[in-house]
Amino acid sequence: MILDFGLTKEYKAKLGLGKKEEIYYCIPYDIDAAGNYIKDAFVVVSTQRIFVLEKGELKESFLLSDLIEVKAESEISCGIFFVVPQATKEAQVVVRYSAKHLARFAYVARGCGELIAGSSRRIVSEEYEKTCFKCGRALPGTKECPHCSKKKEGVMNDFFRLLKPYKLQLLFIIGIMIMVAVTSLLNPEVQKRLVDNVLDDRRGTVSQAIICLAAMFAISMLTMALNISKNYFCSKLGSTISMDLRRKLYAKIQLLSLSFINDRKPGDLMNRVVHDTRNVSNFMADAFCNLFTVAIMLVFSVTYMLILDWKLALLSFLFIPVSVSISIAFRKNIHRRFHMQRKKEDKINSNLRDVITGMAVVKSYGKEEAETQRFNETAESYATVQKRNEVFWAVFFPAMNFVMGIGTYLITYAGGKSVLQGDKTVGELMQFVNYTSMMYMYVGWLSNLPRIVMNMVTSVERISDVMHQEPKIVDSENAKEHSIEGDIEFKNVTFGYKSYEPVLEHIDLKVNKGEMIGLVGASGTGKSTLINLIMHLYDIDDGELLIDGINIKDIKAENYHSQIGVVLQETFLFSGTILNNIKFARPEATTMEVIRAAKMANAHDFICKTPDGYNTYVGERGYNLSGGERQRIAIARAILNEPKLLILDEATASLDTESEYLIQTALDRLTTGKTTFAIAHRLSTLKNADRLVVIDGHHIAEVGTHNELMDKKGIYYGLVTAQLEMQNSKKTEGSDNNNE
Amino acid sequence: MEDKEFNLEQMEKETEEMLKINILNPAEAKFFRTKGGFAGLKVKEEEYPRVQVVRMFPFTDPEHYISIRTVEERSKEIGIIEDMSKIDAETRALLLEQLNLRYFTPVITKIINIKDLHGFAYFDVLTDRGECRFTIHMGGGAVVHLSETRVIITDLDENRFEIPDIMKLSANERKKLDLFL
Repeated sequence: MILDFGLTKEYKAKLGLGKKEEIYYCIPYDIDAAGNYIKDAFVVVSTQRIFVLEKGELKESFLLSDLIEVKAESEISCGIFFVVPQATKEAQVVVRYSAKHLARFAYVARGCGELIAGSSRRIVSEEYEKTCFKCGRALPGTKECPHCSKKKEGVMNDFFRLLKPYKLQLLFIIGIMIMVAVTSLLNPEVQKRLVDNVLDDRRGTVSQAIICLAAMFAISMLTMALNISKNYFCSKLGSTISMDLRRKLYAKIQLLSLSFINDRKPGDLMNRVVHDTRNVSNFMADAFCNLFTVAIMLVFSVTYMLILDWKLALLSFLFIPVSVSISIAFRKNIHRRFHMQRKKEDKINSNLRDVITGMAVVKSYGKEEAETQRFNETAESYATVQKRNEVFWAVFFPAMNFVMGIGTYLITYAGGKSVLQGDKTVGELMQFVNYTSMMYMYVGWLSNLPRIVMNMVTSVERISDVMHQEPKIVDSENAKEHSIEGDIEFKNVTFGYKSYEPVLEHIDLKVNKGEMIGLVGASGTGKSTLINLIMHLYDIDDGELLIDGINIKDIKAENYHSQIGVVLQETFLFSGTILNNIKFARPEATTMEVIRAAKMANAHDFICKTPDGYNTYVGERGYNLSGGERQRIAIARAILNEPKLLILDEATASLDTESEYLIQTALDRLTTGKTTFAIAHRLSTLKNADRLVVIDGHHIAEVGTHNELMDKKGIYYGLVTAQLEMQNSKKTEGSDNNNE
Repeated sequence: MEDKEFNLEQMEKETEEMLKINILNPAEAKFFRTKGGFAGLKVKEEEYPRVQVVRMFPFTDPEHYISIRTVEERSKEIGIIEDMSKIDAETRALLLEQLNLRYFTPVITKIINIKDLHGFAYFDVLTDRGECRFTIHMGGGAVVHLSETRVIITDLDENRFEIPDIMKLSANERKKLDLFL
């Protein structure tokens, strides 16, 4: 996201910057004091001051050293940028802006905070813009606009690079295309001979006519065969390319850090793998395979027409704009109709989904009647649109063909006159008319091409956007494999998901081999972040994280990850059998090992109860397992992997007492002798922890055993007593009710 | 042991307070405008240097049921103003100013052009706040019907635009908009 739009020299002069003053941020705002839209208005932040520059006039300025705080508050579809001066300590509105600039001002406000705190760090935003500033078009989730900028060539280059491995196949297809063009053009030529040399004035014999017809038939057959093979090879090439792309994209997405994936909606990445690659293959199959044929035929038929009768040719060219505009207009109309129908269809679908998933609610409130009424209304409006569209297809297509044909009628008329005058033979006229209708067809097709190409370019851009991402976590050159012992040390670690927003600051912690560490703190304080760092899903910003005295960056990521076991609150089971899920991290494990792991995880017994035992299919649309059962499968998975380092993130939350007990015992077996980090809100589950680490306000607030921390009467003490209190009050309430 | 009981009591007290519907009495609640352009409130002994003014029913009833809230992150309700028309002109002007700061929903008065291209629609419109161009997703969800004739359009940046009555647009404008309704 752009945080410095750059001021013109003239504007810069108005600010009266000091010698050492440097402009850090300069961003536009678009709402004036009266609440109307305004253009040419900027907030400029230098290393010393904040300026408001409206229509080239300096409206206001604040010395950063006079301010306590600078904030960008988001409101409803707009935002307020305000400062709190030291003198008054009262918030003071500076400017307002629409939602377009919300994120931008948030970044700049943080930047001002940094400057006030005395840091000279300049904040950079990695977020993508939503709109292209050059052409005003919306960006399809990419950094660069596929329409403007020189990147367009870059994208075409990307596309050609994509085709490079298939050079031979491409040449072969192009060869077929040329042959298709030749045979297609040959047919009218033979037809002309048939008419002129054989049929006209009954000059020829029946056998001659049959020979001509046979030639035409053979040519048609040949054209058909060539067309079929051309389409076959093009489609095949298209799907090969898209499969290739899909594979590369998938591999790349797995390589990229979580932060890249978390920044995007999962659907967006899925679309790129599925939809955009299909777009490329569609382009190969629909557009590319006809491109050369059409080009050759167009050039040839136009040349032929010009040679035969340039006047008539020019007359027929007059109709090209007509035919192009008709085809464009119809396409727009058709697109519009399709879109409308699809929208109504969506509405019906979502309505149905709503009612069916919420059937229990509908029934329990007796609202069937009202829901039926509502559904009928949407269904009716869909039917109306559908009916209208059907009528459109039925009426307008023949009508369109007729209109497109008018050009040909006129040519026939003008050409027919010249035949009667003896300037031309009947056969020549027929050939001419044939080429004319061919030309109209291809010109119509060509007018469609920019749209198809643009679609392809956008897709390629979205694909290259992922492909060109540099993975953030890369094994350093001297990274090596290391068998984890279990000593972990944080040395002054600072980390934030966004550079301006540290989640953990100056963390110092030494964990000994085999220790179990309980992580405690309110939600959002950074417990899960700490665990993410231990799992090496993110690289730390500052400081060092040492595993057995080795910097985590110097251990090969894959090797490291294979030695960690993770049990999370929400267990994710892949679609597949229980066996495959347990063996996920160690596919080579023997059956006995799997059973032993399942037994240790207290999972064996319930697995035996399921209809297909270890072969029971689970995951999406699979056998329904309870939360506790899924959890135990996850534990078995972790046990089987024999991890050296264990991470439990709320592993026992949201379970009933019995399964909690079973899981607790399973976890106890799992954790013995292994360095373990556990997060739990219910503090009783951490009773086995050797030490507890309390995280508060981005820092480690307290470290110690349960007893030490209770004696200290700090945050942990407060949390424990609060939880006990809650339990007690629940119990008393419960017994009160029983008495009644 | 004692201080934690105190904590629980306080929490219970707070929960109780959250239940109460506290209608602000104009005689007791004195609003004032801060130098910085925000609103403060003095009610009985308590003084709030800055309060938030929030509409409970921004679409269906913007002039009634205004919630006056504290500004911190876990904002609490100080009280409710039932009817804006029943408070004195000065306070009303002050509160309206705050509401205008908080809510920015330009009303579309004229549709100059709508162009759809590659899954996005580009609007060029006149609003009561001036001319504006914005872009919406064609995918759906961008145009919400509040009633048969009233729509809210949300653009890519989550700006919101209102058309209070589509029947008041010209037939030509309606045709441009037709695809989205």
